[in-house]
Parts: sequence; structure tokens; C-alpha cells
Amino acid sequence: MLNVECRVPHSAFYIQHSELKTSMYNLWRFILKHHFIILFLLLEVISVLLLARSQNFHRNRVVNTTNDAVGKVYEWGSEVGNYFRLSKTNRQLAEENAWLREQLAIINDTTTSYFDINNCDTIYEYIPAQVVNNSIGQANNYIIINKGKVDGIERDMGVMSSDGIVGVVADVSRHYASIISLLHSNSMVGVRFKDSQELGVLKWETNNYRYGMVEDIPTHVVLHRGDTVLTSSYSFIFPEDLMVGTVEDPNVKSSGALNTSKIRFATDFATLRHVYVIRNMHKPELDSLKANSKQP
Amino acid sequence: MNKTALQIIRFVALVLLQVLVINHIRLGGYVHPCIYPLFILLLPIYIPGWQLLLLGFGLGLSIDLFTGTPGLHAGATTLMAFCRPRIIKLVSGTQKFENIHEPNLNQLDGMWFFRYVFCMILVHHFWLFLLESFSFHLIGQVLLRILMSVPVSVFLIMMALYIFKSNKKGEMR
Repeated sequence: MLNVECRVPHSAFYIQHSELKTSMYNLWRFILKHHFIILFLLLEVISVLLLARSQNFHRNRVVNTTNDAVGKVYEWGSEVGNYFRLSKTNRQLAEENAWLREQLAIINDTTTSYFDINNCDTIYEYIPAQVVNNSIGQANNYIIINKGKVDGIERDMGVMSSDGIVGVVADVSRHYASIISLLHSNSMVGVRFKDSQELGVLKWETNNYRYGMVEDIPTHVVLHRGDTVLTSSYSFIFPEDLMVGTVEDPNVKSSGALNTSKIRFATDFATLRHVYVIRNMHKPELDSLKANSKQP
Repeated sequence: MNKTALQIIRFVALVLLQVLVINHIRLGGYVHPCIYPLFILLLPIYIPGWQLLLLGFGLGLSIDLFTGTPGLHAGATTLMAFCRPRIIKLVSGTQKFENIHEPNLNQLDGMWFFRYVFCMILVHHFWLFLLESFSFHLIGQVLLRILMSVPVSVFLIMMALYIFKSNKKGEMR
């Protein structure tokens, strides 16, 4: 009696165990036999998942703590290139200096009569930075600059050059930051036409680094080639009236009541070296206001 | 020189060359030449498959690290590595590689190399630009990019092969 009870479960267990063993063995043999294709599929799936994840997030985590090394390599590479562009850089900086002097002269003139500059509410601060890597040939382009968290750079800050706007900060590491260039399929900036005051949305889909598209322009708006496009006041990223570009082709395509026009960027992305990161001093205040108004 | 050391130097040199120099070459918006696949092209002919795949993935991922496109170059280079044994078979027909360790211009003729490089780069670029667009609505542009980039990449790689041909004679034997 005791003997039987003991044997039955034991043998059942034995059969199960040996079946499991042979099936494991077969699986193992299968994997070994086809390891090349299995490993290939595995790696390919990992690649596609990585890519899909990075595309889904609006912000791509390009630079993080581990990638300070990447920034370093780029900086080292760009230092070599900088020597070849010195004359052009000098010229650009001189032009900008001249413009700033002009502005200063205007302010000095007005200060005495209208208002005191110390009371003037400057909510934007400009942090100068150098581009250490930049691409223009990809479908999604990023710029890496040599200023990071320790210099006060944060996500979502706007970036401009002396010619016009450049992009928005996507990610920061200690000493570097990556910027979503205007040449990015996710890039979207609110703009305004200087003459007609009409608003539009700037995107990039042309595959050409010189041109962007302004969408959502009402059809009644009359635009001309060469009209100036500026940033709108509805964004907290860019100050109002920064240079964006000029109209190249007023009506590329129209859908319903809205037109799309092609514009030429004021910034030359191919030779971008010196940029300014724009820090909005009131951003925390605006953010909390937005967060509060969202709550019912 | 030690073979492993040579491979490591080649890996690092090609990645740096790609991200610091080649990525800045601009010939219109459509051309995006690649030279780094040369590393996979020059691996030993009878390298174990898993090593080939892992090296391809690792190489692509190191480029991705610099360009901020995780998975893009990794996917393309892995596919290229996967197709390598087949492509070698395809382009060489009945040719045997009895005493050839790595593909090199001293033992294999230029025409063989050209066919080999062309097929491999075609596979690589096809997958690269397809993944980059990530959808088919720009299929015309994808094809245009492939058509314009493949010749430039093949040219660059063949040029690199001929430049380093004489230098490597001593190192590889």
C-alpha cells in the first residue's frame, strides 16, 4: 500500500521531467542550429525598438551623463575646424557688434527722455555658446553645443544665432546640450509675418537646409517674395520678433482655407558656429500658471 | 602587428573618421555617404556568425551614439553583417578562399571587390534610409537618397582600400 503510493507519483514526475528535458534539449539544439538568424532578428528588433522609442518621444535623449564623452570628442574635432573659419567668424561677430552698438545708441537716446534702463523689464537672458557638432543632411538634425547644466542651460530653452533662430534645447548633460534644430521633422515654431501680422506654424519637410515651410496661413493673406518672417509672441521659448527668415515662395500648396509657403531661413545652418541660448526668467512663473490653469 | 589590435584601431579610426569628417560632407541634401561599413567589409571571411552580427551591431551603435539616432545605424549595419556571407557567396561564384584570411586587394582583384562593396553598401543604405524615414510616405525621397548616396559611399570605400593597400601589405601578412 505504502509502496504503491510512493511509486506512482515518482514515476509520473520522472516521465514529465524527461519530457521536459528532451524538449529543452530540442529547443537548445534549434537555437544552436539557427543561432545566426535568431541573433540577427534579436539585434534587428532591438534596433527598431530603440529607434521607435526615440522617435515617439518628442525629445530625444541624445546627450546624457554617459555622453559627455561624445560631446568631448566633437569639441575636440570642432577645435580643428575652427581655425579654418576664423575670418568668417570674425566678420560675423564684427557685424553683430555693430548692430548691438546701434541698439545701444538708440537706448541711450531714449533713456534720457522716456525711461530708465534699470527699470526696463528684461525677462530674457542670452547665454553665448559654441556649436561643437551640427548636422544638416539627416531627416532629423541635432546640434550639440558646449554649454550644459552647469552653465544654466535647461530643456526647452530657445536657441538663436546672430542671424536668426536656430532651435530648441532637447537635452542637457553637465557640460553639453543637444538642440533640436529647425531642421527636424518634429520641429514646430509659431511665427508671424512682419507686414501682415498673420500667424503661421514653421515646420521643416523640404530636405533642404536652406528652406522651411510655414503652414496654416489663411488664404486671404497676401504674401510677397522677400517678406520678413519673425517669431510670434505666443511662445515662451523665443522672445517676440526674432528673425526667422524671408518668404521664398508665398504659395507652395493650399488645402482648404489654409496655405503653405516656403521660406528661406535667415540662419545659415551649414556654417553655424556661435549661438545664444535664450533663458526666459519668467519661465517658472509661466509654467506654474499653466499647470494651475490645467487643474479643474 | 597583432590582428585584434589592428581591428580595434580600424574600428576607432573609422568611427572617428565618419563622425568628425564624413558626416560633414555636404553634396546637396540627399547625399549621406558612409565609410564606417568598411570595418565589417574587412573582417575575416570565415569569422563566426555571432561575432560578425555583434560587431555589426556594436559598430552601428557607436555611430548612433554620435549622431543621436539610437538604433538607426545599428539596424542597418546588423542587416549588412547578416547578408555578408550570402553576398560573398553571390559575388565570388566558384572562387575559393583557401589561403585568404581577410578580404584584401593584394589577393583578390579589384572587380571582385567592387561587386562586393557595391552589394554590401546597397543593403546597408537601403535599410538605413528606410529606417530613417520610418514610414513609406516619403518612399520617392528614400529611393533618391539611396541612389545618390550609394555611389559616393562605394567610391569613398574603394578609395580608402586603394590608399591603404600598400601600407597594409606588411601589417597583414
